[in-house]
Amino acid sequence: MPIRHFRTDSFRLTAIFAALILGAMLILMAIVYAITHQAFHDQLQNAILHDLDSVESGYRSQGIPEAKEVVYQRLFGSHGTDFLLLETTSKVKLAGNLPVISPVPGERRIPLPHPQTGDEGGDHEIVGQGRLLSPGLYIFAGRDLYVGNSAEESVQHAFIWILVATLLIALVGGMLLSNSFLARMDAITKTCRAIMDGHLSNRIPERGVRDEFDQLVRTINAMLDRISALMENVQQISSDIAHDLRTPLTRLRHRLEAAHSDAVTIEDYRQAVEQAIAESETILTTFSALLRIGQIEGGVAGIALEAVDLSRLLVELADIYRPATEDSGHTLETHVEPGVIVSGDKAMLTQVFANLIENAIAHSSPDGPIDISLARAAETVTATVGDRGPGIPDGERERVFRRFYRLERSRSTPGSGLGLSLVEAIVKYHGAKIVLADNHPGLRVEIIFEKSSSIRKDKASS
Amino acid sequence: MKILLIEDDHETANYVATGLRKAGYWVEVAASGPAGLMAARTRAHDIAVVDRMLPGMEGVDLVKTLRSERIEIPILFLTTMSGIRDRVDGLEAGADDYLTKPFALAELVARVNSLGRRTRRVGAEIKTQLRAGDIEADLTTQTVTRANRRIDLQPQEFRVLEYLLRHAGQVVTRTMLLENVWQMHFDPKTNIVESHMSRLRAKLDRGFDRDAIQTVRGAGYILRAD
Repeated sequence: MPIRHFRTDSFRLTAIFAALILGAMLILMAIVYAITHQAFHDQLQNAILHDLDSVESGYRSQGIPEAKEVVYQRLFGSHGTDFLLLETTSKVKLAGNLPVISPVPGERRIPLPHPQTGDEGGDHEIVGQGRLLSPGLYIFAGRDLYVGNSAEESVQHAFIWILVATLLIALVGGMLLSNSFLARMDAITKTCRAIMDGHLSNRIPERGVRDEFDQLVRTINAMLDRISALMENVQQISSDIAHDLRTPLTRLRHRLEAAHSDAVTIEDYRQAVEQAIAESETILTTFSALLRIGQIEGGVAGIALEAVDLSRLLVELADIYRPATEDSGHTLETHVEPGVIVSGDKAMLTQVFANLIENAIAHSSPDGPIDISLARAAETVTATVGDRGPGIPDGERERVFRRFYRLERSRSTPGSGLGLSLVEAIVKYHGAKIVLADNHPGLRVEIIFEKSSSIRKDKASS
Repeated sequence: MKILLIEDDHETANYVATGLRKAGYWVEVAASGPAGLMAARTRAHDIAVVDRMLPGMEGVDLVKTLRSERIEIPILFLTTMSGIRDRVDGLEAGADDYLTKPFALAELVARVNSLGRRTRRVGAEIKTQLRAGDIEADLTTQTVTRANRRIDLQPQEFRVLEYLLRHAGQVVTRTMLLENVWQMHFDPKTNIVESHMSRLRAKLDRGFDRDAIQTVRGAGYILRAD
C-alpha cells in the first residue's frame, strides 16, 4: 500500500513538474518567436521601401534610364532582391528579374515557380510592394520569402529541439527530485508505522543536512523522545504505586484484622481506629506526592511562571522555620543576597526549599547550624541549603533522587523517600540544576538557576 | 444557615452532609452539576460546597456560571489531590476557598464556618485596626496591644495573629494558617505552626490569667472574640 502510493505520487509529481517547465518554455518560445517574426517582417518592409525609394529617386532625377540603372545595380548588388520595372500601358518589362504582373500598387505577394523544379506555388513566394512612379511606369520591389521562411524554419527546428531537451531534463529531474522527496517521506511513514507496531525505540534516520526535511525529522524524533519519556514516567509511577503502596496498605489491613480479632475494650477499638486513620493518612500523602511528582515531571502545561523574589522567599521561609528549628535545638543562618528574582512558580519553589530545610533539620545534629544562602554569579544564581549532618556518601548522591530511595541509616526514621524526588522534579521543571555536595561535614544542596531563567530586578518591577 | 452541597459521590455526600448537620447547618444535596446549578439559582442558600468533578457539568464551569449570573454565594471548592492546577482553576473561576480531598471533617466545618462569617461581613471596609476582646492590632504600624499593654511580636507571629483576629471566634485549622498566612500548599513535616503558636501564646498571655488562643482538639485554634 505505501509502495503503490509512493509510485503514483512520484509519477504525479514528476508529471506536474515536467508540465510546468514545458508550459513555461512554450510561453517563452512563443513570445520569442512572435518578436523575431515581427522584427523580420519590419526589416523586410524597410529594405523594400528603401529599394523603391532609390529607384524612384533615380527616375525623378534622370528619367527611365537611370531607374533601370538603379534596378540593375540593386539586382546584382544583393542576393535575394527581386525587381520589376514595367511600362503599364503596353505591359512591357523595362527591367527586372520578375515576370510581368498587373501594375497594382501597395503590398502584395507573388507566387513563383520553384527555381529548380519549376513547380507552381509552394513556399516559393515573392513578397514586396508596388508603386506607380508615373501614370505609365510601375515599379515592384520584393524579396524572395524562401530566405525568410528557411530562417524561420531553422528557428522552429531549434525550438523543437530545445523543447524535447527540456522535457527530458524536466522528466528526469522531476523523477529524481520527487523520488528523493518521497523516499524521505516514506522513511518517516515507515518509522511511524514501526512505532505504531510497538517498536517504540525506532527513530527516523537523519541525513545530516541542514534542510527542512532534517529539521522535520529532528522535530519528530524529539517529539518521540518526549513521548517515550512521558510513557516511561507513567509506567514508573504505576509501578511505584503498585510496589510501594502495597506495604503500608498491607500493614493497615493487618492492624484492622488484629483489632477485629483481638480488641476487647472500646479503648482498644479507639486506638486501632486512630492508628488506621493515621496509616491511611500516610498512604494518601505518599500517593499524592507520587502523583505530584508525576505531573511535574510530565511538564503539566498551564502553570504560569511568574517573577518570584527568591531572596524574599528564602528569608521568609527561614523566619517561618526558625521557631521550629530552635525547638529542635538547631540554629538557622541566612546569607541571602537581596533582590534576586527568578522566573518560576512561587508555591512550587516554596515547597522545594521547605523540603530542603526539613531534610536538613531531620538529618543534622543540633550542634551544627543549618545555613541558607543565595548568591549571584556571572551567569547563575545559586541557592544553597547546607547542614552539618552526616551528609550523603559520594556513591549514593545520585540515587537519593530516586523515588522511595532511602539511605540505610534513615530507614528507621519517618519519611516517604519522596522528598528529594519531588524537589528534583520541581527544580528540573524550572530549568534549574540541583547539585548535592559535601559541606565538610554535612550535606550541601545547591539549586542553580541559569541567569536566562532569572529575571533582573529592574525588569521584574517594571 | 443553609448549605448547598453539590457532590455526586453518594458516600462522600452523606459523610459531609452528616458532619455539617452535626455542626448545626441545614444541608441540601445536589448530585449533579445541572441539579446543583438549578438549586443555586433559587438563591435560598448561604454557602455552596462544590465538588470539582461532577456529572453533567464540571465544578469549575458551575462556579463560573454562577458568578456570571451574579449569584454571589460563598463557594468552597473541593479539589482532588492530584490536580496541581485545580486550586488555581477553582479560585480563578470565582470560588472563595478550596479544600483538597481527602480532608478531615473538622477541616471542612472550619472552612464552612469561616465562609459563613465572611458573608455576614460582606462590604466590610478595609480595616487598619483589628480587634478581638482585649487584643488589638494596628496593621499599618504592625503593633499589638493586649488590654493596652504593648506586646512585641516577630513579623511571622504578627501575620498569624492577624489571621486569627480576622477569624476571631472561629476555629482556624493548621492548614488554613499554612495556606493563607504562608502560602504553603503542602503539608510540612515540621511543626512550624505549633512552634509559632506557642511563641505567640507565650507573648500574648504573659501577665494575663486567661488564654487568648484556645486549642480545639483535632481541629485547630480559636482566638476568643469577646
